[in-house]
Amino acid sequence: MSLLNDLFAKPLDPGYEDAAARRRAAGERPTSERTWRSPALAVGLVALGLLLTMAVLQVRNTASVVSSERQGLIEQIHNEDARVSRLQGEVSALEGEIGELENDLLQNSAAGQQTREEVESLQATTGAIAVTGPGVVVTVDNAEEQSAEDGTDRVLDLDLRQVVNGLWAAGAEAVAINGQRITPLSAIRSAQDVIQINYRPMNAPYEVSAIGDPRSLARDFGDGSGGQWLRTIAASSGIRFDVSSDESLTLPAGNTPLAFATPWEGAP
Amino acid sequence: MIPLAGLLAGILAGLYFDVSVPLELQPYLPIAIVAALDAVFGGIRAVIEGIFNDKVFVVSFIANVLIAAFIVFLGDQLGVGSQLSTAVIVVLGIRIFTNVATIRRHIFHA
Repeated sequence: MSLLNDLFAKPLDPGYEDAAARRRAAGERPTSERTWRSPALAVGLVALGLLLTMAVLQVRNTASVVSSERQGLIEQIHNEDARVSRLQGEVSALEGEIGELENDLLQNSAAGQQTREEVESLQATTGAIAVTGPGVVVTVDNAEEQSAEDGTDRVLDLDLRQVVNGLWAAGAEAVAINGQRITPLSAIRSAQDVIQINYRPMNAPYEVSAIGDPRSLARDFGDGSGGQWLRTIAASSGIRFDVSSDESLTLPAGNTPLAFATPWEGAP
Repeated sequence: MIPLAGLLAGILAGLYFDVSVPLELQPYLPIAIVAALDAVFGGIRAVIEGIFNDKVFVVSFIANVLIAAFIVFLGDQLGVGSQLSTAVIVVLGIRIFTNVATIRRHIFHA
């Protein structure tokens, strides 16, 4: 501990004492006028000022570089988001155009008419076109007071999967969450605590709309696994939910193009 | 008056020329600053106690900065750079605090 003791007891450079003792021995005062006019002192203080200024400027410059980098990244994210939205709009417009052209072609013959109806019903089932009809809306929201550190009082992707499964089991014919149609290719998953549906991030509250018989759908959902699941998590973690019937719901088309799978010609 | 003018000239020169620290020297800047502050507070205390000496001040200032930077450089080469920086900061920090406390006692007599 003698090192630390030394440090506390003699914080002043011993050189000062020695120099003062030498001067006293020579009959001079330790600090004289000459001390203050010394060029070495002036040069030392110039160096000190330079050093401090350099350090301050250095910190300022680094901070501005970091914040401008951040700004650039944020801008890039916004730009790419806008580009994705634009491209998706383009895809929807082109899909609409394809549908119209198909209709025009098939309208001309009776067999064509029948094919068109068949295609439309298949498209409605697979979620390739928008559908409308009566149904129910299940709204699920995070707990009012979010205090649990493990996030159990927030809606999880698992909860939404249970709700969607419950709705299918209760006879729903088409389901969408916050305007994202659930198709055979949809994924409900969470990435970094954000629920993603069709790879689009979603925020609470989650509105799960389902088209089906408005009376039996709501009842069967409430009695089935989906309703049970919601009641359990509502009781255990304060998650809020609400089931309401709606006379007319419109669910958008899902964006699920197939890139690799093609119909098998040998199908019965 | 002359030392104050020197300090001011240094600050102005730094602002005017906008000198930036070379990238290789940047890790040593914080340590150099702390070492310089130690020399400065030691000098102020010596002034108050009437034993200030220009040569001791300048030599301790320059030597402190260079030795502190060298210790960190050595630590970097040996892979213990951050630990050695911490050690230097602790030692110099204690000295700065004790010197400032003494200065405070001299000024306020408390």
